[in-house]
Amino acid sequence: MKRLLNWWGGRRARLERDLERELQYHLERRISDLAQSGVPRDEAQRRAVAELGGVAPVREYVQDEWLIRWLREFVQDLRYAARSFARTPAFALVAVLSLGLGIGATTSIYSLVDQVLLRLLPIHQPERLVLIDWKGEQLADGWGSGNLLSYPLCRDLQLQERFFDGVVCRHPTTVSLTAGSEAKPAAAEIVSGSYFTVLGVGPALGRVISVDDDRTPGAHPVVVLSFDFWRNHLGGDAGVIGRKVLVNSHPMTVIGVARNGFRGVDIGEAPALWIPAAMKAQATPAWDQLLNRRARWMHVFGRLKHGLTPSEAQAGLQPWFKAMLDADLRGGLPGTTAEQRKQFMASTIVVTPAPQGRSGLRRQLTQPLWILFSATALLFALACSNVAGLFLARGSARQRELTTRMALGASRARIARQLLADGLLIAFAGGLLGVLLAPVTARALISFLPQDAASFDLEASIDTRLLTFAVAMSSCAGILCGLAPALQCGRVALTASLGDRSGNVFGGVRLRKALVTGQVALTLVLLIGTALFSQTLFQLLAKGPGFSTSSLISFEITPLRTGVTPADASRLIRRVHSELAELRSIRSHGAASSQLLAGGSWNGTMTIQMPEQIVTDRIVHRNAISPGLFSTLGARIVMGRDFNESDTLPPDKSGFRSAIVNEAFVRRYLGTRNPIGVRVANGAGANTIANIQIVGVVTDFSYRQLREESEQVFFPIFEGRGSSANFYLRTHGKPEAAIQDIRAVVKRADPNLPIDYVRTLDEQIERSLMTERLLATVSSGFAALALLLSLVGLYGVMSFVVTQRTREIGVRLALGATRGSALWMVFRDAAIMVGTGIVIALPCAWALGRVVEAQLFGVTSTDPATIAAATAVLAAATLGAALLPAYRASKVNPIEALRVE
Amino acid sequence: MPPSRSPIPQGTLDMLILQTLSLQPNHGYGVAQRLELVSQSAVRVNQGSLYPALHRLEQKGWLSSKWKESETGREAKYYSLTRTGRKQLAEERASWDRLTRAVQLIFSEEAGQ
Repeated sequence: MKRLLNWWGGRRARLERDLERELQYHLERRISDLAQSGVPRDEAQRRAVAELGGVAPVREYVQDEWLIRWLREFVQDLRYAARSFARTPAFALVAVLSLGLGIGATTSIYSLVDQVLLRLLPIHQPERLVLIDWKGEQLADGWGSGNLLSYPLCRDLQLQERFFDGVVCRHPTTVSLTAGSEAKPAAAEIVSGSYFTVLGVGPALGRVISVDDDRTPGAHPVVVLSFDFWRNHLGGDAGVIGRKVLVNSHPMTVIGVARNGFRGVDIGEAPALWIPAAMKAQATPAWDQLLNRRARWMHVFGRLKHGLTPSEAQAGLQPWFKAMLDADLRGGLPGTTAEQRKQFMASTIVVTPAPQGRSGLRRQLTQPLWILFSATALLFALACSNVAGLFLARGSARQRELTTRMALGASRARIARQLLADGLLIAFAGGLLGVLLAPVTARALISFLPQDAASFDLEASIDTRLLTFAVAMSSCAGILCGLAPALQCGRVALTASLGDRSGNVFGGVRLRKALVTGQVALTLVLLIGTALFSQTLFQLLAKGPGFSTSSLISFEITPLRTGVTPADASRLIRRVHSELAELRSIRSHGAASSQLLAGGSWNGTMTIQMPEQIVTDRIVHRNAISPGLFSTLGARIVMGRDFNESDTLPPDKSGFRSAIVNEAFVRRYLGTRNPIGVRVANGAGANTIANIQIVGVVTDFSYRQLREESEQVFFPIFEGRGSSANFYLRTHGKPEAAIQDIRAVVKRADPNLPIDYVRTLDEQIERSLMTERLLATVSSGFAALALLLSLVGLYGVMSFVVTQRTREIGVRLALGATRGSALWMVFRDAAIMVGTGIVIALPCAWALGRVVEAQLFGVTSTDPATIAAATAVLAAATLGAALLPAYRASKVNPIEALRVE
Repeated sequence: MPPSRSPIPQGTLDMLILQTLSLQPNHGYGVAQRLELVSQSAVRVNQGSLYPALHRLEQKGWLSSKWKESETGREAKYYSLTRTGRKQLAEERASWDRLTRAVQLIFSEEAGQ
């Protein structure tokens, strides 16, 4: 390789020096001729140069001629390569396919990795964006997930101008948006007035929300639409500015469309519209805690002042923060214990860099995506080594041809360039195939991720960064594979290979064997990974949610979004609940306030009166349910009873009278005591009175996700201020008929009420197992490909070895060896390669297993049964592939073999 | 007043260079002088396209070059025709002859009729 560059560089320099001398000579002769005929010296010089048309243009034209020649020769090499590949189409096809699959897989995974994990937010100077968080006891109720602060705190932070150029806060939610005829659920973001200005995002149309739109609660009914929503759902109509839309039945004016490419600060939740925080009560009708310091619901981001680091800002903010805690404490914190107040005062403020925003999806997908990316990198290495092996085989077959060419005067560089052309042609064909395959595979990968109402927007398109990546990989592959035989080529002595009739070149075979051993090792690692991930998925599906999901469907209604009062909403839910009982297509039904298996829950600590009062040491997951839900789900009530009419409170009282707990709760907190009659209360404070009575115990079933068993407490749904209800129904026969009936019932109750998330429980479980399914399916695809590539590689090498050793085998057979021993001789070669591969792979698999431990369920990363199974599959397949050439070896006719001279 | 000189197309320039060098090897300046002399006032040789043409012909393998001492005592790059170059020149002359004979035929026909 170095020689190639020297040739190019050195030769070119020499050519340029020669040309310089040549032109100098010409000019000097002309000048002296002109001078002799009487023209003054400088005039002669000027004329001589002018006649040539200038020295620089001449130099350029001559250089063009040289370049054209090099290019022309390279094109010749490419054409020659293409012709020789056309003669051996199988080789070309296998090589191009191998590389194409490897590059396609890597590019598509890289596209996901780039979008989810690597890309910075498309805002002004994202590197200055930080996330501000509260570490410690906030003594505040939370709505949402993650690092939440209250709106007044955000306002306070906005005044910290010493550290921040601006502070913004946001809260993701779903609203019922009527932009045309129908009300549809849409993802929205409630933002502070400073949001767009501080992030540096401008409008594509109209204007964006400013601080003037965030002064008085309820007085700024304006929204900004996202570019994608505007383009996809409103047809890119420029007349949208000033149009009125209904957000949860409240009219609001569209003041602008955000610029293209901006999708909020959370890649998992791309909003369709932005609403100023002042309009929070309208956007989230169930709870209006806008000005409550003890309600945390917003993510707060700040733009650091130039030159300030996050740790400097963090240190600088502590004194102010402490002072604020003091003021809050002195203002009185009702309903808190002394212990809690102590923890409150010990809290600190934390500032972390957030150039990518903050995303739950990113957190969930980070490890799986990197695992998959590493797997594709392994696969790509496999594909490349396969192709390199193919080229080595081809190279040794062409040994004769190449050495003849060298003997006839071709320089090493020339031959290397020919081999390079071979490699690059295959590599670019493979790269092209890969780039064409990549969008297809990317789309397939994205289909694993659940699509919700305008939730997120990962693209399957290939952009320039990806193309550059693919081209770079193809070139590497091409250069490596093409030059691999060139490495061999230089080493063999000229006369030896010309004279040797049988063309015995073992140097190449050793390299190929090493490659195959490596391939076997990589394949085993992938196989073990696949086995582990598939096991995880099966275990989770086998475990199930703890209730039967056959013929079980669910849907959600959120009456508050249509603008009714909470009391009316509760009445509506009750009405739907009772009317559903009359439908013949439904066997049984029940309702719950929080959706099951959706990854979230209503949770918090609880107080239990035993008679001594204890507080639960970890959060309890709560749900409000209707009578009949447990029997619909098939969860058995093991003690006590289900909810009934005696659990209702008089209409003027709020709160709950009764609760049902699950067995895990009893196990953890109540031990052997009889749970019926024990009193509990929500929350834990100094003045908490436990006045909710436990009336029943139900079996455990999964709430947030399949993996966990948690302590759960259930309350009657009709006593709460039901903002939304998830109905679970067991249907007779097909769900479609039942869904029709359900729509009719809901329409009768309220024609404007949309029905969300209509799906079967099986679908819900599938969604909740998104990453597990992704890992299991994709890794098994990769493992299958890897196995195929290894088998092809192994078969190729073994066939070659048998062909090379035909004479030797013939001699052995003639001298009295049995056919069995011939078979064993070849088979042993293969067994050594496979065995070495396995031995190399096992420690690697052990080390890598500890990294993926977090993704597994029901199986450890060193589970011997799984590893043994994967190894057995690999051994069986590879040794099976080696059997064919070995069999061929045993069938060698010694006379024929000896005659090949 | 010298008659107007027309620029010559690339193919013809190549042929003229080959012809000039078939008589004896020469360097670039010599070829230029000879071309000026031989085709005086009939053909204008753009000297700027001379050297690119020489290098192109050398790339094609019709010319070979060598650095030798010139008539002035300085070293100059001398070009000479290769065997393939001579063959090329012969082919070019043959086709040129065919062309002129054909044109001649047409003109003589007209005059005759």
